[in-house]
This record gives sequence, structure tokens and C-alpha cells, in this order.
Amino acid sequence: MNRGNDRLENLLIPFELLEPRTLPEALSMLADDDTAVRPMGGGTALMLMMKAAVFTPRRLVSLRALAPALGGIALDERGALCLGGMATLSSLEHSALVKTHASVITRAMPQLSNVRVRHVATVGGALAHADPHMDLPTILTALDARVQIAGPGGSRELFVDALITGYYETALAGNELITGVAIDAVPGRKAAYIKCTTRAADDWPALGVALSLVCSGGHIETARVVIGAATDRPTRVPAAEAALAGALIEGTTLAAATLDRVRDAVASQVVYTSDAQGSGAYKRQLARVHVVRAITAALQA
Amino acid sequence: MSVATRTINFTLNGAPVSATIAPHHTLLEVVRDTFGLNGARESCGQGLCGCCTLMVNGQSVSGCLSLAAFADGATVTTVENLAVDGKLSPLQTAFIECGAFQCGFCTSGFLLMATELLASNPKPTEGEIRNHLSGNLCRCATYPEVMRAVQLAAERMA
Repeated sequence: MNRGNDRLENLLIPFELLEPRTLPEALSMLADDDTAVRPMGGGTALMLMMKAAVFTPRRLVSLRALAPALGGIALDERGALCLGGMATLSSLEHSALVKTHASVITRAMPQLSNVRVRHVATVGGALAHADPHMDLPTILTALDARVQIAGPGGSRELFVDALITGYYETALAGNELITGVAIDAVPGRKAAYIKCTTRAADDWPALGVALSLVCSGGHIETARVVIGAATDRPTRVPAAEAALAGALIEGTTLAAATLDRVRDAVASQVVYTSDAQGSGAYKRQLARVHVVRAITAALQA
Repeated sequence: MSVATRTINFTLNGAPVSATIAPHHTLLEVVRDTFGLNGARESCGQGLCGCCTLMVNGQSVSGCLSLAAFADGATVTTVENLAVDGKLSPLQTAFIECGAFQCGFCTSGFLLMATELLASNPKPTEGEIRNHLSGNLCRCATYPEVMRAVQLAAERMA
């Protein structure tokens, strides 16, 4: 049966919807200079912005047809874990490769949004959207993930830290697309992510703390400490990373003086924003507590 | 401005169907308003409450956040598809026996999410049930009864 659409009425404003079949075709449909033209991965975040009339697209370029080409999860020849830009969060959650090579992602996924959103939302979308409350960008920053970007002039690569430049802001041009993310294999690296929600368990986080520690011979060689959600972008804390570098591992913890330096660094070196999830001062205290819990969790991982 | 419409073809509850839609129509609107299947409902409109849950290609999605255009070629099922020849599914029967609803507004979403869970994980732990259903809200707060109903259905289906 074929039915008409005369009864349909919704909150969205009409737009042009394109569904390119190939990456070059998709790139040709984007525009560098028109913010009303946007690519769409899973679309969960954009749909919310459209319903709230924060975003009124003239043209949406759906990348769904690119999922077979850009939705994979694989290891490259150097052992790096490669996540396709169109890989869904669910596919990460249930991937044996991700569990083996980046188990911090596997552990974080069940607390990230809800099952239905994870079935649809994509890795590339989460990064390109640059909503500071998203968990994955904070985790990927701690893993020094490299983001592969395609544009009309060819491809380039940026660390997540360089990709996300501010509150919903990225270094992407309007006619560039994220095609994938690579996480290098680093022997001895342990990582953890702790998400603090102040309302429902699957609410947007008030704070996300992601941490990776490269351990060798009972010491921490190098560390990444990243604060997310409470900041305008995933924010590394170099003073905390410096405090951790060289620290002697004592079971699943570190010397009290080291932990004090890390706590002080995350409290004093980061600007915490106040919003519906909590005040800046409250989030600063959350960060002081949870950065130490994240260290313990990483050492136990 | 005239809106370009398009025809989508998909399988709805086992039957091939087509519909004429505009790019901004959601799948939830099409299922409800074009096909009269009112089990899925829009409540929060933000993918948080689960009342609009639909199954697309075997995976649960929030119908309110899904563009209908993307259903072209897909297999869509709704809560109306759970009963076979008028016989309720074991989960539906368990919901009734456990009183796992009060007003019933959220029930179709809970049923589809729990059906999805039991299909992939026939013996879920309490934590696994809670996790899978964490994106479904019941304003009557029948969560304990929902938990019992899912556990009861799992036992009976074992």
C-alpha cells in the first residue's frame, strides 16, 4: 500500500536531504562557506539541534550509504586500532578488537547515552559535533588518537586534541569529513575513564576524567590526563601529566605526594564551567576526587 | 516553499509497504500518522525516554530521532508485531502478570527494548537488564515490576 503524507506535521523545518554513495560524491556536496550545509552521520545530535531550532539546515548530506566503506573496525599493519568514521558506538561496544586493544572504550560504552542512541551514533559524528559533554572525545584524547580527515584537496590527520578547538568548534572545514580514527598500539599503556553524572545514570556527564598511563618496569613513563564535560573542550592537564611521569607504582596506587600534586593540578589548572549539571566549584571538587579514582582504575585495568 | 517529496519502500511488520514522505519527516510520524500504528509515541522528543522505540533492521532506535527517508529499504517492526495471531508474546504476558505498567504510555518501548535484550542475551543479569532499559523512563515508576517481568519472561523462555 502507498499512503500520502497529508497528516504528517512535525517540528522540523524542511531541508534538502542528499545521500551520496561515495566519499568523493559526499565531499562534492558539502560547502566550505555555508553553515546551513552539514554532513550527518547517525544524526542523533543534529536531530536534537534541529528540533530545538538551534540548527536549521538548508542541506543535509547523509553519510549512511558510506557506512559499508567507512564503518569498519580493524588493525592496520602497524597494529594501530582503526575505527571507521561511520562505525557506530554499538559496534565499538561489542567489538572484540576494541576490547583487546582499547578496553577503556569497551568499559565506557554501557554508560554512554542509551542503547538506541549507541545503535545509531557514529565515531566521526561524536568528534565532528564537538559537544564537550560527549564522552568519546575525552577518551580518545587520552589515547592520543589520530583523526583522519578527507577534503577536496586530499586527506590529512590531526590528533583529537588539535581537532577539537572549543565549545562545539573544530578545526574541520565545512567541506571536510572525518573518515576514521587510529589509536596506536602502545605497549604497557593502561587507561581508564570515569564519568560523573549528577542526575540520571545515563545523563550527560557533569565531569569526565580520562587517563592513560604508559607503564614500564614498575614506573609510569608518560601519562595523559584529560578533563571533559566540565570544560569547553576535552582539556589535557600538563601539570598533572608531569606529576605522574616517572612515578613509582605501588600496587594499584602511587605515593601520596604524587597524588596530591595531581589533585592540585586538575583543581588549579583547569577552568570548570557551571551549568545544569553542577557549579564549577562542585565540578572542580569532583575532578580532585575522581582523578585519583581514575589512576587506581587504570592501574587495575 | 514547496517541499520535495520522495517515495520510500520498506517492510513494516512483515509486509512490504511504501509511503510518500518529505525529508524532514521522522520515522515515528510515518509509522503513526501514515500507517496508524500508535503503539510508539513521542514523549520527550530527545531520545531519552524510549516511548518512541522502533526496531529498524533488528536494532532498537528512537523513532523521534530517525528520519523516515532512512527507512527506505529497511525492515521496521513495531510493538504491534510482538503478538502473533492475537497471541501475546511471553514478555507481554509477563508484563501483565507482574503489573509492569500503570498508565501504559511507556510500555511499548519497554517491551521492544526487553525483547531485543532477551533475543541477544536470553539469561540477562539484573545489571544487564537495568543497563539495557536505562534509556526508558516510566513516570509511574513501575521499574521494579518491569524488572520482575523481564526476569519472569526470561525464565519461561529458557
